[in-house]
Amino acid sequence: MDMPGYYEFCCRVKIISGHDALEKIPDTLAQLNAGRPMIVTDKGVVGAGLIDTVVDAISNGVNIRVIADDVPPDSDLRIVNSLARLYREKGCDSIIAIGGGSVMDTAKGINIIVSEKAENLMLFSGANALKRALRPMIAIPTTAGTGSEVTLVAVIKDHEKHLKMAFVSYFLLPDASIVDSRMTLTLPPAITAATGMDALSHAVEAYTCLAKNPLSDAHALAAIRLISDNLLKVTVNPGDRKGRLGMASAATLAGIAFGNSMVGMVHTLGHSVGSVCGVPHGACMAILLPYGLEYNMHKNGNLTAELLLPIAGAEVYAATPKEERAQSVIDLIRRMNQELYEATGGRHARFFRESLDRKGKEMVPKEKLPDIAETALRDGSIFYNPEDLDYDDFLMVLEAAWEGKPLNTFLIRRG
Amino acid sequence: MNNFREVAAGEKSLKRDYVAIMMWFMGRAIQAAATVDKAVKKEFMDMPDGFTFALCVMPNGPYMIVGKDQRGLVRYRGWDPEGKMIDLQMKIKNIEDAMLLFTFQESTALATARERLIVDGEVAQACAIVRILDIVEVYLLPKIIARLAVKRYPAWSCGRKYLGRVLIYIRTIFGF
Amino acid sequence: MYLPEHYEFFCHVKINSGHRALEQIPFELDVLNARKPFVISRKGDSERGLIDVIIDAFKDSEVAIGIFDGVPPDPDLKLIRELFNIYRDRGYDAIIAVGGGPVADTAKVLNIAVSGKPDDIEEYAGEDQIKRPLKPLIIVPTLSGTGYEMSKHVFFGGRAYVSHFLMPNLAVIDPRMTITEDAVSIASTTLVALAHAVEAYTGATKNPLADAYAYSAIQLIMEHLVKVLRDQQYGSGRLALSNAHAMAGCAFSNVASGIAHELGKAMGEVCHMPPGLCMGMLLPHVLEKQMSEGSHNIADLLLPLAGFDAYASMTDNLRARRAVDILYDLLKDLSAVSGGAVSRRWKNAQISEDTLQGIAQRAVVNEVISDADGYVKILREATERR
Repeated sequence: MDMPGYYEFCCRVKIISGHDALEKIPDTLAQLNAGRPMIVTDKGVVGAGLIDTVVDAISNGVNIRVIADDVPPDSDLRIVNSLARLYREKGCDSIIAIGGGSVMDTAKGINIIVSEKAENLMLFSGANALKRALRPMIAIPTTAGTGSEVTLVAVIKDHEKHLKMAFVSYFLLPDASIVDSRMTLTLPPAITAATGMDALSHAVEAYTCLAKNPLSDAHALAAIRLISDNLLKVTVNPGDRKGRLGMASAATLAGIAFGNSMVGMVHTLGHSVGSVCGVPHGACMAILLPYGLEYNMHKNGNLTAELLLPIAGAEVYAATPKEERAQSVIDLIRRMNQELYEATGGRHARFFRESLDRKGKEMVPKEKLPDIAETALRDGSIFYNPEDLDYDDFLMVLEAAWEGKPLNTFLIRRG
Repeated sequence: MNNFREVAAGEKSLKRDYVAIMMWFMGRAIQAAATVDKAVKKEFMDMPDGFTFALCVMPNGPYMIVGKDQRGLVRYRGWDPEGKMIDLQMKIKNIEDAMLLFTFQESTALATARERLIVDGEVAQACAIVRILDIVEVYLLPKIIARLAVKRYPAWSCGRKYLGRVLIYIRTIFGF
Repeated sequence: MYLPEHYEFFCHVKINSGHRALEQIPFELDVLNARKPFVISRKGDSERGLIDVIIDAFKDSEVAIGIFDGVPPDPDLKLIRELFNIYRDRGYDAIIAVGGGPVADTAKVLNIAVSGKPDDIEEYAGEDQIKRPLKPLIIVPTLSGTGYEMSKHVFFGGRAYVSHFLMPNLAVIDPRMTITEDAVSIASTTLVALAHAVEAYTGATKNPLADAYAYSAIQLIMEHLVKVLRDQQYGSGRLALSNAHAMAGCAFSNVASGIAHELGKAMGEVCHMPPGLCMGMLLPHVLEKQMSEGSHNIADLLLPLAGFDAYASMTDNLRARRAVDILYDLLKDLSAVSGGAVSRRWKNAQISEDTLQGIAQRAVVNEVISDADGYVKILREATERR
């Protein structure tokens, strides 16, 4: 294994995992000298009965001051501000965030405001603007997952000024993350598939991009193994508790991996498709992941090849000649998408042409691809991608991912 | 107690001078490229008038400040941040990291991956600046060095590369 | 893949490793809201040139540093009091410990003192008596430690202190700091790290997060340890081993300590030998016993020990055996490459049957699982095989 010339690694979040991890929350809060939490969540989580599960598990030990469930699917500065006011009004001393990426980001934003007594969240945007610890925060992810419960980043949109604010600081990491199988038991198959592939893309990109290091690699390998073992199982059988715990652990491991080693072009393009056409993040990741590996093959094919072991297991790895392993990995990921497509009755899209919204309308019209390519030029994750991409390269990948055809590797310009 | 002493930080003046000179060249070359090179021109066109960015070394310089004035012209604005409204700062964490960048031991991409740089401002604009820096490096440096500095050495026409290089060098040295 | 029904994991330590890692410290201090660091190191580190490297790294940072380079091999509370006074009088707000062993122990206990009441340090002895974060602590390992310095443990003045808050905020692993230790002592300290990592990876309290740290540590050790012994100048190997130590320390802080650790510690106390060497030498024998008792976790150990291809091409039922054999081979190689220097004290120790019983009893007192007979068997086999 090549030691990188320089790397940094940190995961300061306490991870509590199990089939009844929620019950540990009162003690955890007590150790942080807190006991009057505000619960931040969204209506989807409430509707799935998950808030009831949490409240039942913890209300003996803590005094839940308020449950705020109006976090929108996309983090919004107005909601962050209003919930911060609510936090103060109700005399809270800590935050419990229950949900996916948007809930986590919103909670992190609220925490900045209430801890720094800030009037304007903008003042703390950028890297390392925070100088000291925030109020205690516990994260309970309900997808498996975005990994945002273990990342030091929060992204909050100011819809009025059309700005996206990014906050980067180790102080944004929650004090603890509760990985409990009950929180993903009711996740519907299509979302299970999409969020599972999101976690896979995190692990794979962390392993194959420029900021990789031995520790994030180890986390990524474990995540990939757990996802290969469990994703299809829990998509087909949502009530598989062990499988759900496996996926939840995988999402945490993948979150830690990419939180430290960043991601590459799969996310660059995925963010752009999401922002231009509104396709959910996980769905974008699933479709684009094999393309990212294909595009970068001349630079990191040897790393991709190694992933055959956690994805397919020892026998397949040993039986596949070294020079064919990278392509096998790409083919297997495409096959995963195919199996998930079948397991979700066609709702898990294999390529962008079949990404449909709830009404059955096409979400990514071909005419939008140039816009998406243009947007991709503005995304910072491209720095970590092994190969360079300009507008034409982005468009080429998007066109292939739209049709569902493999990339023509002869057209890739090599650096 | 004779095991105890205090040591003040001191300075690495030679390295600071080297980085300052490289930054001076870079700043003026960016100004030149904004006139000579179509791609650099386009990147700057997408930025608002008055937009100013700085590349600097923590904690206290050297600085390279480049800005677009109200008429849309791109100008190298010197090494002193005093009194200037800076929209985007790309901060290099310390003088040794700056040396790694400016002696091309680490490319911009590798320096980012190794956490040597911090971006203070909009990431989208930082992406554009990195693309501009890459293009300018290809103009200023012989291929054998430029290949270390950029991720993918571009396949430019001879005209763009050689004529552009001459023009940019002249403009950099004479400052127009 | 094994996934425990319930686990907890917490690693407080950020790791910065590689070229010019020391130069990042001023920035990291700023992130920790500290401006005046107090550097402490071993007696003699100045002569070894290590302090000059630190001073140079702070040049141009506008951060002045205080330096105390006189920590003896056996620090006591009197020293802590002396250092506390300097820290308080000079207004320092962070500690940077250069090295492992006594320096790191001193730093951790000093940190308790400066974060609370210096007169009541021993109040915090025992398990989890420290309830909140301490002041910023950075450790710069020099390969003289074992990774224990990164862990949540410290043993000082006859008392054990255990708390996640004792772990440093930051470990700065810089190749320039790894060049002064001689290869034989590196081998001894690395065997400790290996034992900790392997036991974390194969023990009953294993979990996926501690595994990630343990896996990395084992892999790096297997790849670089013998090479470092063969070639004293092999710098990137030393960097890798220093990383492995830190990772092993983090893993060790998140699992229950294993049998090789307890037996090695007991053996060290009873026979007056380096406990780390004993841990390393006992390790394959401990695993041998666990294998015979049906432990499932040893087969997977082959992956970090031997790499992807070797793991994949071996059938599952043979992997555990191969893993244990690789460890035996490693010990043989270390002995051979060092001309016997690594294992000399082990081979020459006078150990009678009574001594074995004594060691086992001592370990049982410390260990949760009490199996004195089993321990004696392991010890007997290990010492007979010397």
